[in-house]
Amino acid sequence: MKAVELRGISKRFGDVVALDNVDFSVEVGEVHGLLGENGAGKTTLMNILYGLYKPDSGKIFIMGEEVKISSPLDSIKLGIGMIHQISTLVPEFTVIENIVLGDKSLGTFKFDVKLARKKVKELADSIGFELPFDKKVKELPPGVKQKTEIVRALYREAKILILDEPTAYLVGDEFDQLLKAINILKEKGVTIIFITHKIREVFQACDRVTVLKGGRVQGSLDVRKASEDELVSLMFEGQKIEVTDSALPKMVLEDVEKTKSPILKMINVSTNVPNLKNLKNVNLEVYGGEILGIAGISGHGQKLLTEVVVNPNLLHSGDILINGESTKEKSTVDILKSGVFFTPEDRVLEGSLPTASIYKNIFLGHHREERFLKGKSVVVWRKVRSVSRELIKLFKVKTPNEVIEIRKLSGGNMQKVIFARAFLNPIDLLVTHNPTAGLDMASVKFVFEKLLEMRKSRKAVLYINEDLDELMAVSDRIAVIRNGQIVKVFQREEFNKREIGKYMAGVVE
Amino acid sequence: MMFWEKSKPYIWAIGISFLAIGVLVWILGYSPLEAFKTLLFKPFSSKFQLTATTLKFIPLLLSTYAFSIPFILKNFNIGASGQMLVGGTVVAIVGLSFESHPISPWILVPLLLLVAAVSGGLFALIAGYLKVKFGVDVVISTIMLNFVGFYLASFVATTPPWKAPLTGHPMTKELPKWALLPTMGDLHIGIFIVIGIAVLVHYVMTKTVFGYEVEAIGHNPRASEIHGIHIDRIVLMTLFIGGAMAGLAGGIEVMGVHKRLLEGFNITSGADFGTFGSLTALMVEGNTIAIPIVAYLVAALLNGADSMQRTMMLPVELVFLIQAAMVLLIVSFRGKFKE
Repeated sequence: MKAVELRGISKRFGDVVALDNVDFSVEVGEVHGLLGENGAGKTTLMNILYGLYKPDSGKIFIMGEEVKISSPLDSIKLGIGMIHQISTLVPEFTVIENIVLGDKSLGTFKFDVKLARKKVKELADSIGFELPFDKKVKELPPGVKQKTEIVRALYREAKILILDEPTAYLVGDEFDQLLKAINILKEKGVTIIFITHKIREVFQACDRVTVLKGGRVQGSLDVRKASEDELVSLMFEGQKIEVTDSALPKMVLEDVEKTKSPILKMINVSTNVPNLKNLKNVNLEVYGGEILGIAGISGHGQKLLTEVVVNPNLLHSGDILINGESTKEKSTVDILKSGVFFTPEDRVLEGSLPTASIYKNIFLGHHREERFLKGKSVVVWRKVRSVSRELIKLFKVKTPNEVIEIRKLSGGNMQKVIFARAFLNPIDLLVTHNPTAGLDMASVKFVFEKLLEMRKSRKAVLYINEDLDELMAVSDRIAVIRNGQIVKVFQREEFNKREIGKYMAGVVE
Repeated sequence: MMFWEKSKPYIWAIGISFLAIGVLVWILGYSPLEAFKTLLFKPFSSKFQLTATTLKFIPLLLSTYAFSIPFILKNFNIGASGQMLVGGTVVAIVGLSFESHPISPWILVPLLLLVAAVSGGLFALIAGYLKVKFGVDVVISTIMLNFVGFYLASFVATTPPWKAPLTGHPMTKELPKWALLPTMGDLHIGIFIVIGIAVLVHYVMTKTVFGYEVEAIGHNPRASEIHGIHIDRIVLMTLFIGGAMAGLAGGIEVMGVHKRLLEGFNITSGADFGTFGSLTALMVEGNTIAIPIVAYLVAALLNGADSMQRTMMLPVELVFLIQAAMVLLIVSFRGKFKE
């Protein structure tokens, strides 16, 4: 029987056709991959199934019966649960409160905590998840939030589970745990739709796969009979991309002579910021012509490592030299003007002005540069817009123009805008945190090429990423950060996933 | 197309609120047609009426800015009333101190306007400081400061040497002639001042780095901060500007309309300018071109309400109903038409 069947679904946003007559069906109890690059319409299609968008045309069948879904309330009643890329949990509530939220059977005025805990624990145990029940959600890393959301969906008796890019923020062995849970759920008869742009994950997790491109279905295949090449050609239609074993674009690091003195030098850097993992005596040097990777489990000080370079106010002790000059007396704006730029970890919360236009987003951080100003304080928007148009073209951002709000772009295109912003001027140093999060393979390749271009022109890159495969693909050296300290530095010849992982996890000190 | 899409919620809101009020007027036993005619056309019907509308427009526009500029950063300055009272009070004190020292109005009038703006701005800055230093919500501090402003004005209006002798209502002596705003007929030159300010506000908010920084924080404070925008500084600056607008409104009212400080000069058509200003600001959502236009229409509505009361004996409160209903409907429709 078909758990889900979508027939002839179309959806437009203004002038943009997001979905064009899409047919999609999933059998009961299968794990079905929904594969496509950024902006292919994967999330839009699932948002329609979940009741977040209304389709312009088309029909929806659940367990063989035609249904009308006009809000997530309807879809939840039909047994559909969706885990979004960005957490929809209440940050101020604990894990357990979030999971049982809305369950009236636990009491009308005061809910039975013991009963709730028992029910939730059984559920979590049954799929092998360990959750910190009494922690507030805002204190949790993305991976744990995602587990909480999965348990919440199951608590609401979801029979059909939609996972939207579930691996984008997972670190360490969290992906393996997720895979295990998926298998257990499958045995229990839960149907799973797995949205992804990573072909590797389709082979690891899915039984069948449907490929979307430009809002159209390219084909549905049995994963066991499909080959990687077949999927790549469906996804990209002819574009040839060579991939490594870990399904990353293959990059070649040419020999580059490093600069004699480091471009970035951090000397005994410590920070003291409340509510964040602080840095403790960090010493790092990044030379021109090299990419220094920073590996570490999320939340071990990466956020401040990125920020302290451009915001010396965060320095508690120690010093940071850029091209030999101390940044202590400088402001963020001065530093950004002096050939340094960065891309923060969270593209929505830290990287963008979601409700502002693309060009106003690109202007952020460049807003005190003389070349865009008349006098000291008047902005020449014409120049900002023309530069933005160039960047959009150069970075292949899919958008009709530079005026539309950045939040209307797909996640990957939004990321490209934020990455492009860093390359508005020629820079000596780029500090970039997770620049590839949520990007498809072609875009990942593009980002890597940009990093290697910097390397080739003897500039410095500090590249922070939780994905070890990606770090190993382009870094000259990898420094491991743990509890705010650099615990080990590996040379490229010594790269070994298992070894580096040990230092990340703190097995070796 | 774009314009039509954007106006949709407003057209609906205005239509529905007028319809509802029409029914109400009809139930009360009056002619809705007559009421609307008075309300909508009377304010524009004669030179006298246009002047009356414009006199309401001047402080209303400034009160609207007093709310709308800090509001871009999600700070609710509902203290325009208090800031206006402080501006008017300080102007009265300084103006009266020149009572027996004739001086050219070319010097004194601009000085007094500046004093009004700065005192209103500094008064609002108290709320800004509390916000930046201790995280006190601007709503709370400005409500409290409204009382301070009110009693300060009362004190000055009832205490020698400022108090006017032989009067029941608390008010000060009349300001000397050289401290008054020049007039053209019944209208004082405040209108040119606010037109200048409207142009300036539009320019600053849309064309300068400061305007961009304010806008950026409004969109996302965290992203703005890590890209080098000083949030605290901008919070203080926007509150100062907002307070200065209200303070200036107070100065203009004292120097141009009442010619003295008068308890309750911040009240018009039954409510204070601060309230009407915040309602107007909420209707336009920070669009710097729409603000003066809508403020003028609201001023006309208030003036029409006064006429309606005079000629038809309908209570002015009806207009508050219309305005309140409009704001509620606009805000709800804006949400509805968005998706």
